Amino acid sequence: MPETFDGRARFDTVLIANRGEIATRIQKACRALGLKTVVVYSEADRQAPYGRTADSALCIGPSSAAKSYLNKDALLLAARLTGAGAIHPGYGFLSENAAFADAVEKAGLAFIGPSASSIEAMGDKISAKRAMIAAGVPCVPGPDTALAEDTAAIERLALEIGYPVIIKAAGGGGGRGMRVVPEARLLQEAVALTREEARQAFGSPSLYMEKFLQHPRHIEIQVLCDTHGNAVWLGHRDCSMQRRHQKVVEEAPASGIAPEVIGPVGRACVEACRQIGYRGVGTFEFLYEDGAFYFIEMNTRLQVEHPVTEMTSGIDIVQAQIKVAQGDPLDLAQADVNCAGHAFECRINAEDPDTFLPSAGVITGLVLPEEPGIRVDTHIHAGYKVPPYYDSLIAKLIVHAPTRAEAMARMREALAGTRVDGISTNIPFLRALFEDSAFARGETDIHYLEQWLKQRRAP
Amino acid sequence: MSAIDFSDPTTIALLTDALTAAGVSGLEISWPGGQLRIVVATGEEARINVSSTAQPVSAAQPVVVKAPMAGHFCSGNSSRSVADRLPRSVSAADTLGFLRVGPILLPLCAGRAGILTRQLAEPDTLVGFGDPLFEIEPQS
Repeated sequence: MPETFDGRARFDTVLIANRGEIATRIQKACRALGLKTVVVYSEADRQAPYGRTADSALCIGPSSAAKSYLNKDALLLAARLTGAGAIHPGYGFLSENAAFADAVEKAGLAFIGPSASSIEAMGDKISAKRAMIAAGVPCVPGPDTALAEDTAAIERLALEIGYPVIIKAAGGGGGRGMRVVPEARLLQEAVALTREEARQAFGSPSLYMEKFLQHPRHIEIQVLCDTHGNAVWLGHRDCSMQRRHQKVVEEAPASGIAPEVIGPVGRACVEACRQIGYRGVGTFEFLYEDGAFYFIEMNTRLQVEHPVTEMTSGIDIVQAQIKVAQGDPLDLAQADVNCAGHAFECRINAEDPDTFLPSAGVITGLVLPEEPGIRVDTHIHAGYKVPPYYDSLIAKLIVHAPTRAEAMARMREALAGTRVDGISTNIPFLRALFEDSAFARGETDIHYLEQWLKQRRAP
Repeated sequence: MSAIDFSDPTTIALLTDALTAAGVSGLEISWPGGQLRIVVATGEEARINVSSTAQPVSAAQPVVVKAPMAGHFCSGNSSRSVADRLPRSVSAADTLGFLRVGPILLPLCAGRAGILTRQLAEPDTLVGFGDPLFEIEPQS
């Protein structure tokens, strides 16, 4: 059997260290590649359908994620007991945990993701920014060094950048560990509070300061890299529809951005990947305001929203990710990447559509749309019990059509044709959002959804 | 949950050896009656915590002995299947079978006295955390 880039034998069995819709998605990709799958699950997920369709399934711990899906040792023991040759971490849980990636490789298994050193480098926002500047990726104005303790120096820096500024934890992300400072008199208190938060939440008090953009959009660039020095970018996505920093609707491509504006940014992302020796899939996240891009962070994992890029590019990102982990060279060059049409993804969450409180329980009836141009990524079925222990995402509704307007119309049809009985979901909220005229026009910023919700609630 | 006596120093030592051999840095096992945490630290002694929160169980209810962790289930006596000798009386300290984790065999204790009525797992199969292995009708 031929060896991979790091001397390991090629694997024929993948342990899926995740749950829910992404476990089903990874299983499908493995099956298409002729690979066997091992599903691990917590006690709460004992009845999950992907366990029954796996080649092997094993309960690794109690319902608590800390004792099951986040339990590195239980996952490694499960891999050893089942003979798995690789671990796919999915997203969330241990997907961006450098220590886990390292432990997997030290155990002689393939980690289907980047190296531990890449995860670590991109996890530290200051070192990530430094690497991006070196590769020519545009960044938010502000230094690529940690904030000093000297209060006078901090004040001088804020004046140099210009208010408003944002103070961020170097180890933070996902909207946590950051504070906006609109004027000078609030600066020192904000620094002190954020530093303490960073120390407690991320284990490091290291902070950095950037210009705060007031009305940006959230734009992402998807990259795919192999271990032979090849890298491509697969177009861009707009993930500006967010509530409390959590994406609700994603689309590809981001509308209203000319190819000559996004092209150099995509090429710079590819160059950054080459410079840091990145492997696998990754996402560069940017704020976009007044025609300019500003790097915020790199996600070193498969994203929840990867299907919109799959729909427009025609590339199966999960399969490509697995092939890279086998040591295969990419089977496409940049010139082969041709994105076409427009795609939307709605995250269907088990939550109250008005209060957004999680809604666990048994799904008593389920109708999912099956028309052409509609894809549903899910693990649920009638009779499935949504456990209360994990993220509320239960399905992803994805549509593709030639234009954005047609894709919106298709999503309206898809939402109208979706019914989940027995629990509350955010489907009514999504239906209302897809009737909104400003969203239909496009190019709304990251604050739009919060404002829209506020207006809806107003008497 | 536990069919292994995790307060038994021999069991803990066996488990620690198995973890060390497997290159695993630690393990946390929970069962309704308590919790065991082993941290294998390089260059230091392993840290082991066992805490018990055992609740009294009604004598009338059958008790299912479940796997406290993943491993290969081995029935108690290779020459004679446990299932062939059922039902039979067992004491709390009786070893009903083993859980094989790598080269280590961990004894599965009954945990309570009673009539062992059923073996619920096939011998030599891979079992996961919480999988039912035996059923015991407790005797008061």
